[in-house]
Amino acid sequence: MNTAAIAAEPRTAPLQFMPRAGARSATPPALTTLCSTCHLKDLCLPCGISAPTVERLDGLHFGRRRVAAGQPLYRAGDAFQSIYAVRSGTFKSVLGATDGREQVTGFSMAGELMGLDGLAQGRHASTAVALEDAEICAIPYDHLMELAAGNSELQRAVGKLMSREIVREHSLMMLLGSMNAEERLAAFLLNVSQRMKARGWSASEFHLRMSRAEIGSYLGMKLETVSRTFSAFVQQRLLAVDKRHIRILDLDALTRTFEARLQ
Amino acid sequence: MNARVPLTSINELLALTAQSDAVMTDTPDTVLPADLLRKFDVAGPRYTSYPTADRFVEAYGPEDHLRVLRERRTGAAAAALPLSLYVHIPFCESVCYYCACNKIVTRQHGRAAPYLQLLEREASLHTDVIGVGQPVSQLHLGGGTPTFLSDEELSELMSMLKRNFALAPGGEYSVEVDPRTVTRERLAHLAWLGFNRLSFGVQDFDPRVQKAVHRVQPFEQVASLMADARSMGFESLNVDLIYGLPLQTRESFARTLGQVQQLRPDRIALYGYAHLPDRFKPQRRIVPAELPDGSGKLNMLADSIDALREAGYVYVGMDHFALPGDALAVAKRQGRLHRNFQGYSTQPDCDLIGLGVSAISRIGASYAQNAKTMDEYEDSLRQGQLPVVRGLAMDRDDLVRRAVIMALMCQGELLFEAIEEAWLLDFKSYFAPELARLQQMAADGLVRIDESGIQVTPAGWYVVRAIAMVFDRYLQADRQRMRFSRIL
Repeated sequence: MNTAAIAAEPRTAPLQFMPRAGARSATPPALTTLCSTCHLKDLCLPCGISAPTVERLDGLHFGRRRVAAGQPLYRAGDAFQSIYAVRSGTFKSVLGATDGREQVTGFSMAGELMGLDGLAQGRHASTAVALEDAEICAIPYDHLMELAAGNSELQRAVGKLMSREIVREHSLMMLLGSMNAEERLAAFLLNVSQRMKARGWSASEFHLRMSRAEIGSYLGMKLETVSRTFSAFVQQRLLAVDKRHIRILDLDALTRTFEARLQ
Repeated sequence: MNARVPLTSINELLALTAQSDAVMTDTPDTVLPADLLRKFDVAGPRYTSYPTADRFVEAYGPEDHLRVLRERRTGAAAAALPLSLYVHIPFCESVCYYCACNKIVTRQHGRAAPYLQLLEREASLHTDVIGVGQPVSQLHLGGGTPTFLSDEELSELMSMLKRNFALAPGGEYSVEVDPRTVTRERLAHLAWLGFNRLSFGVQDFDPRVQKAVHRVQPFEQVASLMADARSMGFESLNVDLIYGLPLQTRESFARTLGQVQQLRPDRIALYGYAHLPDRFKPQRRIVPAELPDGSGKLNMLADSIDALREAGYVYVGMDHFALPGDALAVAKRQGRLHRNFQGYSTQPDCDLIGLGVSAISRIGASYAQNAKTMDEYEDSLRQGQLPVVRGLAMDRDDLVRRAVIMALMCQGELLFEAIEEAWLLDFKSYFAPELARLQQMAADGLVRIDESGIQVTPAGWYVVRAIAMVFDRYLQADRQRMRFSRIL
């Protein structure tokens, strides 16, 4: 498994119980983590924000929630109330295609934010499903905006989030549209590798949380093509593959595959 | 307002900007001196696309576009987004002298019917490949003059589109309206057809200016039509204005703006007139001596920005203003603006199909433009071929730069990391020359550059075109060539 990833993970998240401010219902007090002490603060919402402002975020008491593997975090059509920060685990975002097939539109990892797709229409446009047991912080959007209204630093942070999401979603989608199967899969693996690296995990060895079919749906490739392309990469000694466990043997060569037609 | 010099008014408006707009907030003492506006308010592309349409090549033809459409069907996540549709109606009853659009001036309304048949052929050539009934969330009828079509013809056009595509409920359905061609009844018909947004071509209300550009439409006529449109429940009314037209003065344009404020449109597009009589024939009928000079134009722009701000409009970005409650202003505050051929948009960066003479499509990473003449357009369709004459398959560099330019123009914010992650490159080395060129703009307070990214300052928003131009590889290559030829 991804022992490499776990071993390389240098910090552990401090846990504390916080009573929810003005508890409205009989629900048990939510588990919360303060942004200022969270091990993901360099990746997540507080990234680049000064300590005093991060402490203001602490005042929001983002509720923490576990989502079991295969369960949805939100569904398409649900009212948009919060954005979600992934604390652990991986999610896929899917759109229901008109012919009943589901279309994977993205994968989210620890420290990344989800749910911004609900901002435009007030309802989530896609469904987010946990690919493994996961944990999220729910960040009430209205509260965040109230706090941001008086704080330019926080405004900029929220602006950054949107900017990042838009670039991430649309850049990669358009890029994929212009590439062949090998280039698509290489781009995908390099993207995962880079995101792993940003989390302080191994960039060359990781466990994919998504199935071949989900990768295929995301990349616009048939399942057979995904499997065949993985095999081709193994044959070219670019990768070692054991089911979902991936070892990148030749990062430069994989990058060249991706860049071959694009320079 | 007339007594104020632009320097003061711009300072004031920037201070206002800083207080009133969540995303654009900045230190309130940021100023944009008039000389900076002069220096950076340069002629240049409006970046409704990148690369811009003048970079499209003839090597990209119907077969290429057909392949792109075919791939879309099996393609990646982009195909799951609803489509945006643009339909170009090229006919105009009379010519406006400032016009730079592709149009056919005719009084023969009989020409519309055969054109609608051609549009239907073109639509079905698309749906044969991508499938009938693809969802559409945005439709724009532009021209020319879409309201050159009769009510029956507009009905026919809409049912043709509905036979080919699925117009999603809650979408944005807009049409450009020439006030001289419609009545209250005609607007009601547009509403009945499902249009929920109207864009009125106003340009200027001064009768002398209207006469000089050959577009006479009294204020009362526009006012009564807009009141009618409101009573019919159109969600958003837009007014197009042009500064820099013949016989315009600061005083006359201020009066026009005052009248526009009475009408209180949800959106205002304020374009600068570019006099290029060599390229656009109708402009040869404009008397150059009657045109305001450069500083006159600049004053009008500065006055307008000031007046609209005072009237409560949010500056959305290049040329566009909106009331704070309008979807465009909301999207701006939330940082989720996009840009397409119609300017700023609240719709995600979805595939766009353009139908009609000279229309441009973008599917995935490819642009395609239709024939500009009716004869050529018709010939292709009669042969059962897409009327594509030019286009561009974007390469990786085009796509990266497109992402950079759109982020700067729409979010005013660019994160190196986001681009690096999506495009697998090192931003600071890939864009080293551009970052060096941006330093002057940073020194002038138009952008802020730090370790994590580039941010457009409130002052920078007013010259965001010039900031985007820094990242336009084609433009910079042109400059290199010019410098080279001067040296030789």
